Amino acid sequence: MSALDRAFREAGGRVVSALAAGFRDLDLAEEAFAEACARAASTWGDRPPLDPAAWLYSVARRVALDRLRHKATAGAHRPDEPEPEPTPEDHIMRMDPPIPDERLRLIFVCCHPAIAPDARAALTLKTVCGLTTAELAQAYLLPEPTLAQRLVRAKRKIAEAGVPFEVPGPERWGERLDAVLSTLEVAYAQAHADAALAGPHAGFGREMLSLAALLARLTPDEPEVLALAASLHLTEARRGARLDAEGAMVPLSEQDVRDWDAALCDAGERLLARSAALSRGARHAPGPRAIQSAIHAAHASRRRSGVTPWPDVLALYDALLVVRNDPVVRANRAVALAQAFCPAAALAEIDGLGAVGWLPWHAARADMLARLGRHAEAVAEYDAALALSPKPAEALFLKRRRAASVAA
Amino acid sequence: MQYALLIHENEAESYPAGEADQAWLDILSAHTAFGGQMARAGVMRGGAGLKSVATATTVRVTPEGRTVHDGPFAETREQLGGLYMIEVDDLDAAIEWARKLPIARNGSIEIRPMLPAPEGL
Repeated sequence: MSALDRAFREAGGRVVSALAAGFRDLDLAEEAFAEACARAASTWGDRPPLDPAAWLYSVARRVALDRLRHKATAGAHRPDEPEPEPTPEDHIMRMDPPIPDERLRLIFVCCHPAIAPDARAALTLKTVCGLTTAELAQAYLLPEPTLAQRLVRAKRKIAEAGVPFEVPGPERWGERLDAVLSTLEVAYAQAHADAALAGPHAGFGREMLSLAALLARLTPDEPEVLALAASLHLTEARRGARLDAEGAMVPLSEQDVRDWDAALCDAGERLLARSAALSRGARHAPGPRAIQSAIHAAHASRRRSGVTPWPDVLALYDALLVVRNDPVVRANRAVALAQAFCPAAALAEIDGLGAVGWLPWHAARADMLARLGRHAEAVAEYDAALALSPKPAEALFLKRRRAASVAA
Repeated sequence: MQYALLIHENEAESYPAGEADQAWLDILSAHTAFGGQMARAGVMRGGAGLKSVATATTVRVTPEGRTVHDGPFAETREQLGGLYMIEVDDLDAAIEWARKLPIARNGSIEIRPMLPAPEGL
């Protein structure tokens, strides 16, 4: 990888964020950064500057200032004196001002509630993480022009509706932070939905993870941010264990813990511990994301104990229900109940949900019927689940379970 | 920046007795107070409350010509009931004012940035 590629990857988001915050203009920031990269490509050669990111930032800043000046004097026909190009030596000799870290501010701009929800995560990943439109289109499985159009609309909204380039004040902090966290959650869930990670989704999950980790570094005192970052670490850690040799999905509690990424598990547990300590210190009840990450951590504890602590998982789902009572949580609680104590009671709960047409509901119901030895009904329920066109990895898993019920 | 705050309410639901309704009188005085608050904050640039949608007349324009009709431009669940024009720093500030705007029951406040006035006006 060339010095320019590396600088683009590692510092692109930070440089573009700093430019956008400074000029309060996302388009200008992106155009100026692209121009700086083009100049770098033609001038660096095999002698890149000592600090490539600082070079890109200061050149892009000058490009942006020139453009603004041109715009201001466009009517007057007074072309500006072109500024001399800095040579790489200039930058080695001179200390550049440090690039201000404006990524948090930009995360809040891109995840503003006035921006269309389907554009927020993509815009954040592009601006703050430096992903290209082509990469994002691949990750979202959208044609590139469609995704580009969404980004254009979002940027236009920011500019024309006057979305402020500010970190929200304390009175709106909670609500706005929640919008940021939900954006990350939804985007990550999308990246994580398919167990078969052969496709471009895999890299996208990693980008979401690094964005969550970045947010955790930028707001180190927010328990819910740390908790979401913890969940993403613990979930990403399992990536290598979600498929068996034949490409079938492996449910969490049956995954081989040796396939989990130990470093990511450790990092997730550390983040969760910090989140919990902060909540305790502030005498706050843990928020929904803290409880969810505690559930992930309970599953992760199997790597030491060898068993999933189902009663703990069940208790955590009970706590989660208090703050987030939705069908997903109730279905997951029922699954934990089936594992912990009693498939019959769990089946009654699942039936109470009556979520006909929702794949996870049919899959959970089929599993409980099979556990109870009601195999004929289980087979019918597996058929109902398979009729809802699950992804290939999950379909293979469901077909195997169905075959086991047929044989029983 | 200048923004228009467009107030939409379900008239029939909010003011069943129309302009004779106590709720109507209450909302008028709430708006008087709110307008005063905005004026004191120095953000108020204008606005108007509108009479009941029953008083609306619409001139419809088509390539064939212009025709006059009784009623609002479209039958919707919520109707435009009035607007404020304000000048504030950014969208967040406009949202803050919209959050405080008096609404009788249910409704919506649409925030639209205004085009700059043409020069010479």
